Amino acid sequence: MTFARGLAAEVRKGLLNLLAGWREVLMEMITFPLFYLLIVLFMGRGELRADLLLPVLLGMVALTFIHEQVNRVFWSYLGDIQSGVLEQTYLTPLPSAASILGRQVAAVIAAVPTALAVLTTGAVAISIQGGQLPFDAQVIVPLAAIVLGTCGLALILCGLTLVFKRIEIITQLSVALYAIAGGTLVPLAALPDPIAFLSRLVVPIAPGIEAMRDILLGGHSLAALPTGWGLGWLLTQPLLITAAGVILFNRLEHLARHRGTLGRY
Amino acid sequence: MIEIDALTKVYGSAQVRAVDEVSLTVPAGSVFGFLGPNGAGKTTTIKMLAGLLTPTSGQVRLGGFDVTRQRSAAMAQFGAVLEGSRNVYWSLSAWQNLMYFGRLKGMRKARVAERAQDLLTDLGLWERRHDKVGGFSRGMQQKVAIAVALIADPPVVLLDEPTLGLDVEATRTVKNWIAEQARELGTTILLTTHQLDVAEELCDRVAVMRQGRLVADLPTRELLARFRERDRYEIRVEGAAPPGFDAVTREGVTTISVRVSDPSEVYEVVERLRAQGVVLESLTQVQPDLEDVFLALVNEPSHA
Repeated sequence: MTFARGLAAEVRKGLLNLLAGWREVLMEMITFPLFYLLIVLFMGRGELRADLLLPVLLGMVALTFIHEQVNRVFWSYLGDIQSGVLEQTYLTPLPSAASILGRQVAAVIAAVPTALAVLTTGAVAISIQGGQLPFDAQVIVPLAAIVLGTCGLALILCGLTLVFKRIEIITQLSVALYAIAGGTLVPLAALPDPIAFLSRLVVPIAPGIEAMRDILLGGHSLAALPTGWGLGWLLTQPLLITAAGVILFNRLEHLARHRGTLGRY
Repeated sequence: MIEIDALTKVYGSAQVRAVDEVSLTVPAGSVFGFLGPNGAGKTTTIKMLAGLLTPTSGQVRLGGFDVTRQRSAAMAQFGAVLEGSRNVYWSLSAWQNLMYFGRLKGMRKARVAERAQDLLTDLGLWERRHDKVGGFSRGMQQKVAIAVALIADPPVVLLDEPTLGLDVEATRTVKNWIAEQARELGTTILLTTHQLDVAEELCDRVAVMRQGRLVADLPTRELLARFRERDRYEIRVEGAAPPGFDAVTREGVTTISVRVSDPSEVYEVVERLRAQGVVLESLTQVQPDLEDVFLALVNEPSHA
């Protein structure tokens, strides 16, 4: 019961913080769609080309999601370490797993408005060009894989920041790297083989974006995805990242207790 | 009750012993002062007590539960306000903070609300309960932190510098509150402070740490009495300072400071003054306060 209450309280707190920062969310709901339109404009040499709007949109929605989710969890966690509030959460009977899980759920919810704003902008742009945003229920599977893998990544980064100082750069760099080499703007098939291999292996959104493109653009079924490493890897990769996140977080939390770095104020 | 047994923390490859074999017991319902200069190992001890830092060796038990091995049960007994930390979310209101931490401590929603109302009313924050803590004064923020520490009504509370940076009124409120918690509600309170008058006023017992070790652990009165052996007297006399005495003259009144090893020596001093024709105004035995005791303890030559 303590776990459930703690988890619910953590999610609620995350949402209260989201409401408190509504101006920031509003700015992101404007800037990310603008960023998407600008990318399509640049890629289309000044034109919003219909053949670019949808493929870039799928990558951009995933990129927006990972950017929002990872950054929200990471920065709130780092802020709590530096303000000392994280230590207060450890002065409760609540297992730390409930606290970190609650933060992840809240961050997933908090990432949705900006990702939806990008999606809506894309849908409007596509309809203006005379097209229609396709939908296939199978897309839920790669979307869920992206959410899970992203949470795993955030868990790894939170664990690292419990012990090591100044890892903000890793967070910033990793999200920038996904934008370039994660198959978000340019399909992995168009990248050099070693980079495509690494991206499919470790980037939480890469297999999901490939699968979404196969389903929505190519009309393929989940069971027969032509690009990437297939349905098996689409499901396995986020599970592996999350498992690595859980193991690493536990080890680093243990280390933080030994070094006394749960609070750095 | 807090039981600390041979608690030791050694840091890094240099094997720095931040805390060295510290043992003490804080009985239930008492206010225990934990004092020491900066770098003495107080914070390290406190963090081990709170389960935030794993000891190299030794044991801490809160209400009978081992902090390392029975963390959940031990933390259910415990609330803390840590110095230097915000302790609470400044982006949330006082009410939201109390509801959040109450739920983390496993309390039912209705019970948290009831307890939060009592605490905020007692601390004079009820009218401002929906304001963000970030907009509060330092004293009000500290009160919210104390309310959070007490939301689950824990039998053991750690207050690390609870009156630091507070104005006179807020300090008085917090001091009264600490006394009330211990005397009337039976809460065990471990208090660290550099404001030794606060410790002297509130603490039943005081421990002093220096260089990672305990150099004193006695009831406050006994500690003061022990240092009373070094008796000091102040003699106020009319006119200028007589020769051969350690004296200070301010606004026409001279105060002679005399340190004696035996009280009978005071008569000899008075006799010498009378021989010089000095008129006595008053003679007072100087009682050592906790500050004198503290300074004597931390400045003693190290036996290490």
